Amino acid sequence: MATVEDRVKAVTGRTLNIDPGEIQAEHSFTFDLGAESVQSVELVAMFEEEFGIEMDEDAALSVETVGSACEFIARVCAEQGVAVDLE
Amino acid sequence: MSDQTARNESHPLDSIFYPKSVAVLGVTPTPETVPNDIFRNILTSGYTGVLYPVAPFKRSIYAVKAYRYVLDIPDEVDQAVIVYPSNVCHKAVEQCGQKGVKSIIMISAGFREVGPEGAKRETGVKEICDACGMKLIGPNCLGVINTDPISMLNASFARKMPARGRIAFLSQSGALCTAVLDYALGKGIGFSKFVSFGNKAGVTEIDLMRYLHKDPQTDVILVYLEELRDGRGLVEAAREITRGPGAKPILLIKSGRTVQGADAAASHTGSLAGEDVISDAVLKEAGIIRVDTIDKLFNSAIMMTYQPPPRGRRLAIVTNAGGPGVMATDAAVNMGLEIPRFDDETTGRLKSALPAAANIKNPVDVIGDARADRYSAALQAVLDDDNVDQALVILTPQSMTDIEAIAECVVAGHKKTDKPLACSFMGGRDVQVGINILQAARIPHYILPEWACSALIDSNTFNEWKNSPAPEFKPLDVDAAAARAVMDSAPGGYMREDQCLDVLRAYGFPVPRYKLCTSADDAAAFADELRCPVVLRVVSPDIIHKFDVKGVALDLDGSDAVRGAWNDMMTHIAEVMPQARIIGAIVRGMIPPGREIILGAKRDSVFGPTVMFGLGGLFVEVFKDVTFALAPVTAQRAASMVRGVKAYEILTGARGTASADVGGIEECLRRLGQLVSDHPRIGELDINPLLVGSADTGNLVADVRIRLAP
Repeated sequence: MATVEDRVKAVTGRTLNIDPGEIQAEHSFTFDLGAESVQSVELVAMFEEEFGIEMDEDAALSVETVGSACEFIARVCAEQGVAVDLE
Repeated sequence: MSDQTARNESHPLDSIFYPKSVAVLGVTPTPETVPNDIFRNILTSGYTGVLYPVAPFKRSIYAVKAYRYVLDIPDEVDQAVIVYPSNVCHKAVEQCGQKGVKSIIMISAGFREVGPEGAKRETGVKEICDACGMKLIGPNCLGVINTDPISMLNASFARKMPARGRIAFLSQSGALCTAVLDYALGKGIGFSKFVSFGNKAGVTEIDLMRYLHKDPQTDVILVYLEELRDGRGLVEAAREITRGPGAKPILLIKSGRTVQGADAAASHTGSLAGEDVISDAVLKEAGIIRVDTIDKLFNSAIMMTYQPPPRGRRLAIVTNAGGPGVMATDAAVNMGLEIPRFDDETTGRLKSALPAAANIKNPVDVIGDARADRYSAALQAVLDDDNVDQALVILTPQSMTDIEAIAECVVAGHKKTDKPLACSFMGGRDVQVGINILQAARIPHYILPEWACSALIDSNTFNEWKNSPAPEFKPLDVDAAAARAVMDSAPGGYMREDQCLDVLRAYGFPVPRYKLCTSADDAAAFADELRCPVVLRVVSPDIIHKFDVKGVALDLDGSDAVRGAWNDMMTHIAEVMPQARIIGAIVRGMIPPGREIILGAKRDSVFGPTVMFGLGGLFVEVFKDVTFALAPVTAQRAASMVRGVKAYEILTGARGTASADVGGIEECLRRLGQLVSDHPRIGELDINPLLVGSADTGNLVADVRIRLAP
């Protein structure tokens, strides 16, 4: 099973049309990866679909970096009883 | 001085208006988004420099090669326009600092205006800018426009590039900017510079006003302010800009006049508006013309931009309609213009050119059936008259009124004179053809004659102000060291009455002879020395309201009465307020009744030390009939403060009363201004009342309170 970080990078790459290999944990979605506001909303929806979870949209949109998104998603998965590979 | 010469003299804010290269950080390829619109505006407005989009993982924006970071741009970047979300702006600003960017226009919102977290972000961004020497406009703004062909920069998300003109507009509200741009477009008004400065974290309205003072492209400076932070700085800048060689008018809308408006402004900008009544007085004192509406702002601005300065206040009116002519006359006189008599030659010319039924006196009524020939003759005659300084042409559309030809004759008349001219072609659709001709010739047109009068009076006011000598503050002879010694010995809060009187005495105020007595015998002896009925006033750091504890005894005649009153007073206070520390009591002579005035001083959070004057009692409490001024107060300002209250006539002997010692009141105001300027610890000071006598008897301080900062 792919890790949360791998899956976040894959979804981000697909949504923003970027090679996932170029995405790093410390990258900001907007400043480093060029996500537009509409793409940020799209990313939240794609993460929900990828992980089978529901996220509070305001809280999710306030997440700045890829690494923070991984932590946020892992926490929501744990709260909602969804098993994920954290390694 | 040519424009090019002026541009060669570099100014620190040139990088905002004349950048050689601009990078837009956070551009997106999606049309009709703020970042995209800004990039497209710069690209399509004719900008003369080099433009770079910074858009991570985008190859290009509108066929212009894009860069992931500003640091990746191979050339120098003078200006960065930042449109990232607020939580990452600091990263962009850091990179701009490393890149050597000179100015930043931060469009992004989400800073001071959203609360403490945003304010922290804003402070962080400003600190980086300061450390790197970058000029910062914004955040939370619309952007900057410069119509100078040398630059042609539209770094904003306004819908259109405005026409070139000689009016500069500065606004704290970005949304108002877009409305004003559209308004101006409809009126054919152009701009030299157009700046939305938002939260003014870095560059402020004061910096911009100073820049525009030296800008050869700008004749008139318009400002919309929601929040004044440095009132004294604004006043100092305005005084320099509006007087002397190269003086330029400043017209300002300061919103938040009402309590409700101030609340709205505060929630909008994230800070409280200043006290409006003080703002009003102080802005006027700085030569700023304060207006309330956008219409009035531009009505006066076009008059000052398009027309020469008037030589005086005398206005000639030429009209084809009696009613509007009379209304215009009333408005003109009420606003301070004069309606002069014409000289004999003018009267003769009007008589021969107009029909017998016409009114050849001012306002000249050429009558309803007038065509262009009558207007032309009348206008020319009044403009040639040495008793006339400016003219207003009023037209109402009758069936035989040849509007186009009349407008043309006004234009022709305007070309032959160096006197300012205004027009009011009243109506709508029918008169539009004439209005178009007037506007093309830069003759200010107003739908209502009253608006024309208002613009003319503003132009007169500015012209008189700019040519008047700056009043000079001449310090009066005071003992500042003695006053300071008294204050140094006092803790924060309200000073004791004896200390207040000591301070006033050191500054030369007319205080009655008094003594702080510590025993009944002491008080009785001093009363004997005064040889008149006396008043006894308890002195205690714990008693603010003396009357509440029977701490005041009046009209005590003789030492026995004083002793008795002393004992009664101290016994009563010991019963009702046993914890009060009693220093003693002040003994002074009874002050004869007289007209009461109030002199006040307050350290305002926006303007610093200010001074207030008003007549006492109802005039202050009900009618709020008071005037304010910045401290220190010049002799001229003191005189205008006293004469500025509506009830001034009460001091000059109205209804048979003796004339008051007005000169003495003015001197007290000057002394008060000097006192609060010299001693920053004074937070508030009230002389209430100052009892006003005649010029022979003089004035006397009856009561005073001073509150000191800790």
